[in-house]
Amino acid sequence: MATDIEDLRERFLNIEFDEVEFEIDGKRFREYAVAAGETDPKFTDISNPDFQAPPTFVSTLVGRRTFPSDFPALNGVSMDAGKQVEWKAPVRDGMKLVGRSHLHDIYTKTGRSGRMVFLVTRMELYDKEGTHVANADTRTVIRER
Amino acid sequence: MADVVQSISDIEFGETLPAFDPDTSLDNIKRFGQHVGWGTGRFTSHEIARKEGFPGAIVPGVLSQGFLGAMIHRWAPTAQIVVIDTVFRAPVLVDQPHQITGVVTNIDEDENTVEIDITIVNEANETRVFGTATIKLP
Repeated sequence: MATDIEDLRERFLNIEFDEVEFEIDGKRFREYAVAAGETDPKFTDISNPDFQAPPTFVSTLVGRRTFPSDFPALNGVSMDAGKQVEWKAPVRDGMKLVGRSHLHDIYTKTGRSGRMVFLVTRMELYDKEGTHVANADTRTVIRER
Repeated sequence: MADVVQSISDIEFGETLPAFDPDTSLDNIKRFGQHVGWGTGRFTSHEIARKEGFPGAIVPGVLSQGFLGAMIHRWAPTAQIVVIDTVFRAPVLVDQPHQITGVVTNIDEDENTVEIDITIVNEANETRVFGTATIKLP
């Protein structure tokens, strides 16, 4: 039986299910920048006065779980379908961030091989003053059996 | 096509960004795994990845997204990436040449923002990763 998407949306969307603290390490995001091919010293040189993480770095910050603990196991093969970042403020060396996660969207697409369910998990990242610095979305696709 | 742009007035609708060849070498992916994460076998060992059903080791998706960001910054060093969305269509294989291309799809001079479509293709010109980005420029 196909998953009832409207039921999942009503029960799980926009309900926070995870909170994680991160201490941002400038050496780690420097390595990320270099591996990605960034050349701007503000991303690669720790001594640069504007040293900061590339905007996409927040995709590497992972919560304790991707879905709520009571989210049902869907019948199908699960894959990472994509990442989205919404940048709001610089992330810098030594910052302490709090990441709060919720399911931001649940939707389906139907192709030749059947229906696929997409789950968008959004981690909202805040600094210690409560400034919203970024949203990091993970899109998981489940190809229904 | 300008190699580098500094302001929104330098950009034309439909303009293509300079192509970027990301470093998909096993050495780069191993170093990424050591310092950033995603250092498990499917990313750092062709042999283990094949045992898991892949054609070879795969580039972590978070790094593929980073490649797209780097391409934008190389072209527009003054730009701030506001939103970047990345769709993983197929694995980017380690030690295989890939190229990233981009095209300007919208310019909003009131908001000083530009939208770009970006694509990572392999040597067979097959799309592996597709992205869209909104950037803000002076």
